[in-house]
Amino acid sequence: MSANPLNKPLERTGQDDAAAVRARQWRRIGGAALAWQWLAPCLIGVLALCWLLPTSYTTLLTQIMIMALFASSLNLLMSDGHMVSFGHAAYFGLGAYGFTLSVAKGGLAPELALLVGPLVAGIGGVLFGALCVRLTEIYMAMLTLACAQITYTVLFQWYDFTGGDTGITGFMTPRLGLSEQGYASAVLIVVALCLLAMWWIVKSPLGLSIRAVGQDRYRAEALGLGARRVQLVAFVIAAFFAGIAGTLHAVLHGSAFPDYAGLSVTLDGLIMVVIGGLNSFAGGVWGAVIYELLRAGVSKISHEWELVLGLLLLAICLLAPRGFMGVVRRLRRMLAGGQG
Amino acid sequence: METTTTNNDALLSARHIRKAYGSFIALRDISFDLPRGERHALIGPNGAGKSTFIACIAGQLPGVQGEMLFAGESILSLTPAQLARKGIGRTFQISRAFLEMTVLENMMAAFVITSGGWAGLRARAFKQMLEPAFAMLETVGMAERAGDRVADLSLGDRKRLEFGMALAGDPDLLLLDEPTAGMSIKERHFLMEMVAERVDAEGRTLLFVEHDIDVVMKIAARVSVLVRGAILAVGTPQEIKANDEVQAVYLGGGH
Repeated sequence: MSANPLNKPLERTGQDDAAAVRARQWRRIGGAALAWQWLAPCLIGVLALCWLLPTSYTTLLTQIMIMALFASSLNLLMSDGHMVSFGHAAYFGLGAYGFTLSVAKGGLAPELALLVGPLVAGIGGVLFGALCVRLTEIYMAMLTLACAQITYTVLFQWYDFTGGDTGITGFMTPRLGLSEQGYASAVLIVVALCLLAMWWIVKSPLGLSIRAVGQDRYRAEALGLGARRVQLVAFVIAAFFAGIAGTLHAVLHGSAFPDYAGLSVTLDGLIMVVIGGLNSFAGGVWGAVIYELLRAGVSKISHEWELVLGLLLLAICLLAPRGFMGVVRRLRRMLAGGQG
Repeated sequence: METTTTNNDALLSARHIRKAYGSFIALRDISFDLPRGERHALIGPNGAGKSTFIACIAGQLPGVQGEMLFAGESILSLTPAQLARKGIGRTFQISRAFLEMTVLENMMAAFVITSGGWAGLRARAFKQMLEPAFAMLETVGMAERAGDRVADLSLGDRKRLEFGMALAGDPDLLLLDEPTAGMSIKERHFLMEMVAERVDAEGRTLLFVEHDIDVVMKIAARVSVLVRGAILAVGTPQEIKANDEVQAVYLGGGH
């Protein structure tokens, strides 16, 4: 009954040894092979968009790429780690403020401060993560919310240091002085590298362990995997990449506001992951693309963006619970079935 | 033969183990010795505490009283992950393979710890894991299903996969909680003969919970009968079969 094409034995080609055949089989079964033939045209296509689009759209494109990174970091936590975060914006905000404050208050060169943002977010991930992984499921999700609300409140209230609700502005030229097109290209490279790094992590033994603990922590523990420690590592990785997104966002606008760590950014991320598709690596990216394009498009023609979003979420949850990528997979299977 | 001090020669030695869930006492004063290399069956009616005892050894229950030595070391305070790394491998009564993963991914996950741990990010770590993972899949007869999702497997196939996953950690002590539940008679004997063969060939010690008395007779060197949280009798399968008390509460009452 082995109808599964993945089970077909692989043949040796050329001077492959048995180990190489196995490695290929693993990449196929584990879905660990990157589709390079799609990746390069995609990158070139987006790069062309960066330079060909009218300037106002370039900023939207940059925004989409940044949110794609943010949503993907949340997706790693949710799809692989099975941890729902109601406070992922905290690390976006910490990244933005880590960068902004080290320039505005610390007098650091902005180029150097780029490294501080993600670092601060990562440290935040260690501290909050250590707390959150003590609990599971909805209680863990509530702890992530609590940590994010604390972060937001500190940013909002600590006027002397963070500027409170007026935020921090005018401390640098936006985009490090790059043109819109130039910065979009830089963001594309950074986001692409980050996504590659995340892919590499997900497909590594660490990623396998994160997924194992996410799916059944007791089973994973019986295999010798320390569930909490694995979860903490996943948490810190997600926080770090969210921090990179936050840093890129702060550079784009040359400013930081408490809202960056607010609930609405977290919700944006959650919605993107659901729209794009849980349990799919590309889900975060596609979710961000669809969400941001819709938001920009709908708000041009109507004020009812929330209504449209509500209807879209309804449709996805009821009709396509695996989101956009789930629909893509289904279509692909149908096409393959039609041919075979 | 009741002793009060733990037996350092045994691989596993438990004294006065007691575990209560609220007011319900699941295990009352269990003392138990498992010599190295023995194949030992744990039998008893439903609710006797067999799975609870397995979970106690594997460190999965809080609030266990008593004393338990594994290879001469006190283990009641250790976490399940620590115990797994110390050489206690287990399967679960209800199959708990990772449902959303493929068979191969499951086996790879089982080899993470013995291949240097999850901190290994390098591709080399995977190469080290591939060979043993495939070999183990072949051992348990699941190599042809490597690409299938566990959710698509039959119960028997899942149990075989899980047995292989438990072996992956190179355990000294193998705990199998109803490894053959839900299998056909033929499958049961096939699996348990394979288990016995592997356990003997690799010098492991086996403690398994089993309801099929024919399987117990064939596989176990000694049997413990657990009734209402206490050990009623210990002995060879023949002694257990001939024991009137056991006959009364267990063997006679079934079917």
